Amino acid sequence: MTYKRDPGVPFQKLDEETIVVDPRTREVHLLNDTAARIWELLASSRSVDELTAALGEEYDAPAEELRASVEELLGGLGDKGLLAGSGARQRA
Amino acid sequence: MNDGPRCQDDAVVGPAGEHAVVSQLQSLAYERMIPLNVSLELTLECNIRCLHCYNFDRDTDGPASCAGDAASAAPELSLEEIFRVMGELRAAGTLFLSLTGGEVLSSPHLFPVLERARELNLAVQMLSNGTLLRPGVAAKLAGYRNLLGVSISLYGATPEVHDGVTQIRGSWRRTLDGAERLRAQGVAVRLKLIVMHPNAHEVAAMRALCDARGFPYLLDLTVTARHDGTSGSLAMRITELELAALYRGPLRDLIPSGNRVVDEAAFPCNCARGNCAISARGDVFPCVSVPWAAGNVRQQPFGEIWRRSPVFERIRGLKIADYAACAPCPDKAYCSRDRGAAYNASGSYTGTDPFVCTAAGLAREVAHEKETVHLPLATAAAR
Repeated sequence: MTYKRDPGVPFQKLDEETIVVDPRTREVHLLNDTAARIWELLASSRSVDELTAALGEEYDAPAEELRASVEELLGGLGDKGLLAGSGARQRA
Repeated sequence: MNDGPRCQDDAVVGPAGEHAVVSQLQSLAYERMIPLNVSLELTLECNIRCLHCYNFDRDTDGPASCAGDAASAAPELSLEEIFRVMGELRAAGTLFLSLTGGEVLSSPHLFPVLERARELNLAVQMLSNGTLLRPGVAAKLAGYRNLLGVSISLYGATPEVHDGVTQIRGSWRRTLDGAERLRAQGVAVRLKLIVMHPNAHEVAAMRALCDARGFPYLLDLTVTARHDGTSGSLAMRITELELAALYRGPLRDLIPSGNRVVDEAAFPCNCARGNCAISARGDVFPCVSVPWAAGNVRQQPFGEIWRRSPVFERIRGLKIADYAACAPCPDKAYCSRDRGAAYNASGSYTGTDPFVCTAAGLAREVAHEKETVHLPLATAAAR
């Protein structure tokens, strides 16, 4: 199962912050550093394992913790309809 | 942290406009000088002929010259040029792109620009008169997920008044039909009520119309001289007597009561710090209503104008003391500080518009009148 960010969702990276606009509710979300990196990686389709492994190379944190962060963010993004890919379709 | 006040037109259409995160973002843009909000004028063409239009006198063939618009004799930006500029905006940090005109729906570039904005992950808002929102157009617009909303201008509660301003019979009906049609497609719509002399007696009715139809709205009392150097539009402004009657009548509830204190650090607005505008001919302005060209995107990349323009550098360096008439003014905490009105009236970014000054004084009076509490007799006796 893979995930990818919806290519039509407005976002912008401002220095350390990444802003994502939910076009359905017009809410604006400010992503933290880890979430911003995951959003960046979601430019192409990735599985939870791939995302966790990519973060593991960049962050000094236990794999379980990183996996939990990945799954939490994917859950939140999926619930808001901001994802595409097979994972997003399964959630829908 | 500075709240980085924004122009009304840049406010996100819909509930996110009140969201704390939006304020936080505007503060970031203000402090770091990131052009987060950019207005892009797609065309000067318009299908109605509003008497108060700030672009140019619509009873003439076109803008022979535009004050501050160094490119007034040049053609409007081509689609290719607009695409290049949009890429430059994205690279400079823009997220919110406001498309305006003229009438934005009369531009052949609108849908290609919306498509390109989607590819660039830009959030788009549109300002429109709504009359060209035919069923097919409304449905097509609804297909753009990155279109956050459309702000539609209304000039009266009745066809007679609205159509008198637009000089096009049937425009009131078409505007409201267009707004309803777009909303039915799921697009957020906000009505922008332009308060002026011809509709001053209908302001309460205009607000009631919005409430009855369930449209959110904002009110704008600003009518300025035109960018072509003519000032016939000013005849459309409400008079001081009308303004006083409105502030003590149909608009009284919008004036907060009591004393207000101005935050001196927040006095300069978001122009040239988090906001700017690009004219149909490529001039870059600090804001859509201030035609003071900082450069032209045909001659320089946008990012270079944004970072190095002497005009923008000057605006960014302004302190409250530089606004010579405003700094000592006792009414400044009640003032809209409309830089467009001031610039068009005085020719100076730090100047004033006597009408805006009058409005601020009236707002202070009404705020204090509202603060005066009249105790019921029984309560007063008990004390």
